[in-house]
Amino acid sequence: MAEDTFRRLLVVVCDLSPIWWGKQAANASENSDKMQPINAFLNNVLVFCNAHLMMKHTNELAIVCATSSKSQFIYPCPEDVSDANGEESYGNMDGKYEHFATMNNVVVDKVKNIIEEESADDVNLPENSATLLAGALSMTLCYIRQAERNCPVGQSMKARILVLKGSQDVSTQYMATMNCIFAAQKNNVTIDSCLLMSDSGFLQQASDITGGVYFKITKMESLLQYLLWMFLPDPNTRESLVMPGAVQIDYRAACFCHRTLVDIGFVCSVCLSIYCQLLPRCHTCQTRFKLPSAAMTRPKKKKKEKTAD
Amino acid sequence: MAAGGKQEAAPFGRHLKCKDLHQYLQGLPVSVLDKLYGHPATCFAVFRELPELAKHFVMRTLFAEQPLPETLVNAWVKKEQQNFCTGALNRLKQLRIWRVVTGWSQTRYELNPTFRSNLKIALCGGGQPWCGVADDLGPDRHSKDKEFLDKYALERWEAVLHFMTGSSPPDGTVGISADVVQVLLVSGLMKSDEQEQSPMITPSGFQFLLMDASSQIWYFMLKYLDMVEARGMNLVECLSFLFQLNFSTFGKDYPTDNMSDSQLRFLQHLREIGLVFQRKRKSRRYYPTKLVINLAAAGSGSMTTASEGVEGFIVVETNYRVYVYTDSPLQVALVGLFAEIICRFPKFCVAVLTRGSVSQALLSGITADQVLHFLRTRAHPEMLKKTPVIPANIADQIRLWELEKCRMQMTEGVLYNQFLSMSDFETLRKYAEDLGVLIWANSNKRVMIVSKSGHDDVKKFWKRQKPRE
Repeated sequence: MAEDTFRRLLVVVCDLSPIWWGKQAANASENSDKMQPINAFLNNVLVFCNAHLMMKHTNELAIVCATSSKSQFIYPCPEDVSDANGEESYGNMDGKYEHFATMNNVVVDKVKNIIEEESADDVNLPENSATLLAGALSMTLCYIRQAERNCPVGQSMKARILVLKGSQDVSTQYMATMNCIFAAQKNNVTIDSCLLMSDSGFLQQASDITGGVYFKITKMESLLQYLLWMFLPDPNTRESLVMPGAVQIDYRAACFCHRTLVDIGFVCSVCLSIYCQLLPRCHTCQTRFKLPSAAMTRPKKKKKEKTAD
Repeated sequence: MAAGGKQEAAPFGRHLKCKDLHQYLQGLPVSVLDKLYGHPATCFAVFRELPELAKHFVMRTLFAEQPLPETLVNAWVKKEQQNFCTGALNRLKQLRIWRVVTGWSQTRYELNPTFRSNLKIALCGGGQPWCGVADDLGPDRHSKDKEFLDKYALERWEAVLHFMTGSSPPDGTVGISADVVQVLLVSGLMKSDEQEQSPMITPSGFQFLLMDASSQIWYFMLKYLDMVEARGMNLVECLSFLFQLNFSTFGKDYPTDNMSDSQLRFLQHLREIGLVFQRKRKSRRYYPTKLVINLAAAGSGSMTTASEGVEGFIVVETNYRVYVYTDSPLQVALVGLFAEIICRFPKFCVAVLTRGSVSQALLSGITADQVLHFLRTRAHPEMLKKTPVIPANIADQIRLWELEKCRMQMTEGVLYNQFLSMSDFETLRKYAEDLGVLIWANSNKRVMIVSKSGHDDVKKFWKRQKPRE
């Protein structure tokens, strides 16, 4: 394994869907008076982020949070660059490495802000509102492009994304998410997915297409160990480590007309749009299709012509 | 000392070798090594320089309290990559990060408890602050910006290099102290003649000058640390302070409170060579400079291009011309070591690489690789956009010129001739060959040459052999 000289960028996308975390908190409070699940989750993720930065001094990190109303960069955040004094106020009070301490304080503050905002203006949020995964992914991809371009001359960067997600997939986001996945594949960005409690068809596909690791965690207490074991090694190191085998991947697509997942559907022969029922005209490319009865006769005709020749 | 021994060991093509952090640590006594892990900064630095797999091994066992069987560790790594796994394990054992636990049926490993707790502190927090609490000092009235620190650091370090080249430093900057001169002398970079007052630069000194700044400082620090105990300073305290600086934030000030006497003396030496800035000797705060931050990574000798923050200034063209955009007489002098300078302007000079100038450099002990490394690490940003950075024909030609020098190799030996019979010759030749001391033999002329070290053995064998016949 040759020592590679790439700068490694890790972008962590966290799902902070208030509904999902609220449910977790409700479940947890029934059992015992343990730490709030979101606090425990944040602590684990921050230790993992520290560990990533610890591996090499050229390693870089970014954190994006996605909720059901918006996606936001929480580290590095553009506002903090302008006022350097703000950073000074976080005095280092214990033996943690300074950069880690600063980064962790910034992240915790930002997450608090986000949660407060969410709880302030989204009281009457519909029950099934989804996390904006696609939005967060596209922001991440833009950030990666920018980081690659700003890389100092003579050095190159390899980026990967780690998605930490608990809430359910929503099929309305199918198109946007798939577009992000293919964009990531084209830019050689690996998407790793770490699912909390429930499976996600989108992320199974994302990790499979981009060559990342997909893993579902069933016990939140062991989150940190799983993160350190499976998601800390970069793709280059993974080649020499034994990783968990592939899971059964849900490759079902969502139809373009009703956004429902279909096993077998109709595909436009021109633009490959997917429909759950037969339509006389494709909504995407406006191609007209002949009725099934007319379509049946055409191939026969052709066959006859061929045999005549 | 160490450098002297090395020079004797390899008299031909003597090459200045820079140890990386681990090689240095492995040379330390076990007791010192164990004490070193008592500070989070040291554990952090040691961890970062581990091989990739070993880092993951440590991370995986950081929160697992019970000892792990060796078979399990081997199962983590794919079969075809097992040799990396053993390499990583060996490194961990050598550095006493993983230790073998006795009392189990099979070999089991455990993370060194001191290392574990201090790495955890660096990673997740807790424990004591690394270097006192700065809050009681309040903001610095004489606070310095980053440009000033950069300029200061460069100035100080160049003063040391200027001293080595023997050229007078530009307008009235202060010279260097006896302590630094002593380090240069002991490390073999300079030697003092009996007649002359001022020390002279040695061939290894020339090689030192051509290294990039961070490697130079790392090499210098290693030699300095070798002498620390002789000066009555505590090596462990100095090392942990150095690592603490290694991970400090550029542009931030740190208090000198809570520092031991050894560390305060060490700080003064660091201040002199520009690794930290302290306004006055008695000042209660200091600023680390870019030279010291991430220093521990420099020893690993990675082939990275120009060190971060320092802009390259050399352009090499395929027609052997070298353009140097600098106003530093030191840098021009360094280029002058291996290239012929044809014109000089303020802030700019043109040199040309010729067979004569390069062989001159090779004769003074510099290798082709060092010349190329010098050009690569100081390459202009425009050059860095090309691959390879240095035109291929130039790199090849410099290597060819070096090979020219190596056409003839001298080996001392003893000639054996005038054998009476072919069988005598053959027995002796075979004996010498088996010992591995035969340099050359010609059976037609019954002549052979044995290396000087093997001469005694062969002579004894021949004397024993003779009376029987």
